[in-house]
Amino acid sequence: MVVGSVSRGCQVVVIGAGPGGYVAALRLAQLGKDVILVEKSPTLGGVCLNVGCIPSKALIHASELAHEVQHADNIGISVTDLTVDLPKMVAWKDGIVERLTSGVAFLCKQSGVEVVHGEAEFLSDRSLVVASEDDRVEVDFEQAVIATGSRPMALDGFAHDGEKIIGSTEALSLQIVPERLVIIGAGYIGLELGTVYAKLGSEVSIVEFLPKIVPDLDPEVGKALTRQLKKLKVKLHLSHRAESFEPGDPSIVVARGAKDEELRLEADVVMMSVGRVPNIEGLGLEAAGVTTDDKGFITVNDRMQTSAPGVYAIGDVVGGALLAHKAYQEAKVAADVIAGEPAAFDSVVPAVMYTDPEVAWVGLGEVEATAEGHNVITGNFPFKASGRAMSLDSTDGFVKAIADADTKQLLGVIAVGRGVSEFIGEATLALEMGAFLEDVALTIHPHPTMSEALQEAIEGALGQAVHMVNK
Amino acid sequence: MAFVFNFPDVGEGIHEGRVVEWLVAEGDAVAEDQAILKVETDKAVVELPSPHTGTVLRLHVAADATIFVGDALVTIGSPGEEQPDKAPAAAEASAAAASAPVAVETGTPAAPAAAARRPLATPRTRALARKLGVDLSQISGSGSGGRITEEDVQRAAEGGGVAPTAPVAPVGLVAATADGEVERVPITHLRKMIANAMRASKHNAAHVTHVDEADVTDLMAHYRRAKPVIEERTGVRFTLLPFFIKALVATLQKYPIFNASVDEEKQEILFKKYYNIGVAVDTPEGLIVPVLRDADRKDMVELAAEVADKAERARSRELTLDEIRGGSCTLTNIGPLGGVFATPIINQPELAIVGLHAIKERPEVVDGEIAIRKMMYLSISFDHRYIDGAEAARFMSDMVRLVSEPMVLMARL
Repeated sequence: MVVGSVSRGCQVVVIGAGPGGYVAALRLAQLGKDVILVEKSPTLGGVCLNVGCIPSKALIHASELAHEVQHADNIGISVTDLTVDLPKMVAWKDGIVERLTSGVAFLCKQSGVEVVHGEAEFLSDRSLVVASEDDRVEVDFEQAVIATGSRPMALDGFAHDGEKIIGSTEALSLQIVPERLVIIGAGYIGLELGTVYAKLGSEVSIVEFLPKIVPDLDPEVGKALTRQLKKLKVKLHLSHRAESFEPGDPSIVVARGAKDEELRLEADVVMMSVGRVPNIEGLGLEAAGVTTDDKGFITVNDRMQTSAPGVYAIGDVVGGALLAHKAYQEAKVAADVIAGEPAAFDSVVPAVMYTDPEVAWVGLGEVEATAEGHNVITGNFPFKASGRAMSLDSTDGFVKAIADADTKQLLGVIAVGRGVSEFIGEATLALEMGAFLEDVALTIHPHPTMSEALQEAIEGALGQAVHMVNK
Repeated sequence: MAFVFNFPDVGEGIHEGRVVEWLVAEGDAVAEDQAILKVETDKAVVELPSPHTGTVLRLHVAADATIFVGDALVTIGSPGEEQPDKAPAAAEASAAAASAPVAVETGTPAAPAAAARRPLATPRTRALARKLGVDLSQISGSGSGGRITEEDVQRAAEGGGVAPTAPVAPVGLVAATADGEVERVPITHLRKMIANAMRASKHNAAHVTHVDEADVTDLMAHYRRAKPVIEERTGVRFTLLPFFIKALVATLQKYPIFNASVDEEKQEILFKKYYNIGVAVDTPEGLIVPVLRDADRKDMVELAAEVADKAERARSRELTLDEIRGGSCTLTNIGPLGGVFATPIINQPELAIVGLHAIKERPEVVDGEIAIRKMMYLSISFDHRYIDGAEAARFMSDMVRLVSEPMVLMARL
């Protein structure tokens, strides 16, 4: 035995304490299992709580507030000498993160989940070692749940240094607002944080390889977002491949367009958001007999079982939508399957982009529904016609309902506008319950709210909208 | 190389089962094809054979567990491979990890969740369906707009199958209707399988039944004399059925088309070089047809013992799937139940089925005199798409000759 090495046994070991891992651990403990939760960071909560969903939403809210009071002349509010104290804003955000991560630690303690800090590596399909600076703990387990998440993908020529070239993590903790911010990649992270810094006063440029932003969503979504980005003076360089970085003051980002033209962008800070890759390195997946796809995502079935019997995987590391709430559900499925329940993942997964305006969607889009063989009808209600949107001075956006023309079953909803993230859950429930258009149309929606637009869009699909002219 | 054996798709629409018992333990050596566990499905209790020779490294499910097709059951290592249940000591850990202790090859790779159309059911109903092993894509809902309700799922789980579209009284309840009392009884899985097979056979094959008669006076005389002797010597209860199986096999050897099936897709006739005779068994839950494999190579005493054993196990639903499939021609013995003759339905994909009917004493003309003879009808239903009536008539007349003149059959043996 090596000095400092301890051997432990448990029924289930969970690797990674992000939204997938901590939920799996808590649910397993609820089901009476003896659980060890392994986390390599000092705090629990993973990317979501520490450097993802929650901190970014805090900064999005704060930047929106600052932006809004400066653009409220039309409703009779004007401010002079507005100051943004970024270090204070970041400290406020850190306070939220601290409260949430210690909350997770508290829940683990109350549930009897033992947390072991360190990096896990499988020795076999029934044992692993957790290594930290001062310790090596060997853990024998009956079942394991891999929930190691994902991290930003690197791009050749743009070596991360945490100062001039940063990722989303550093972008959430900057101490000064960069004058010129170049963002590589117009995915949701790039668009969300680009909007934050544009509102805080940065001159933001976004370089995107594809010819469109959000190419997988309804074309109306890209149009609405592009309009708002233009208002915020964000420069969008589509069909451009980021090629190289020349450090300096300012640094230069070199990109190349579709017609081989060179684009040189001055930057104080460059933020990389070109996608995410699964965290599988150093895990010893081969020793456990766990296989991955060609992108490194662990292959699982709908019961979250990997190719190694007794080893499960959930969350970003299995691919699909890299979203915390998908991980939550997969965590519960894995825990239930481990406890012998016949659970399986069969849920629809809603998604939200906290851009300005917000974009939220669930179920099938018009193109997908048609491809699945549905005879599609849609209803589209613009927030221009909504009293609530007017009273919020936010009339950008719309709600679109997609349904089967023959059965009138609701197939999907996509919403663009202020606060639409808050009612996409209603659309998700409607899909899970197998709602027909009439079910939603006959449900009273409180007035005045943004959620009325969902009812109106669905009535529109039925040709029965009252507050707009039916097509 | 370790191999993970997953619960295979055993066919017959089975996607779920229950582990009855493990026949091996971790650390045991197993040979290829050795039975390693018993699984109960709603059709039968199946013994699953090991796909490889090796050592049982790990049992992944416990007795009594419910398992689904694709679930890992057991890991089998190379012969002599050690059970890696103990984690290597820390000092050896890095070396062990580097040499990848167990390279696993899976039978079926884990598939990502399918993006098939979702069944119209709420999350709670879908969870119930998983619990009860009900495939929602196979049932139509009785709820509004075709929603699948929890009652639909319960009914399907109880064997009710497709839910009726109109609301119905609870199953098993005797309800008074305008016409009198009616009891609702769910249709069992076996009954549904029979129903589907019968309907498919009647729909697909061009059924024709040909009936002939045999004078079995001599056969019965031989049988009466031989039976006590055979039973005393062998301890096996000896019946007439093995004799008819032998007569059928001898006739099939002469007319191979009756021992064939058809590959409709490739438009080819498959002449079987084996004689696996199905024998219809009447059980309280419905018709089951155990198969007597290689009936041509077994003697009558062996066949008698096998028929008795399989009929008994058919009644207690202990037959394995292998014992009820792979037949090449079927015999149905209706005689003991009376009647004149019947028109059996072909057990597809076979092309013919032979019915044995009651033996009765009748006045017959023998050599110009009226004599009391033991007579029986034999029927054959055949698929007229591939077999013509003349061929069937020849087949039956040959079989009748063998039955009427037992010496002719015995001389062949």
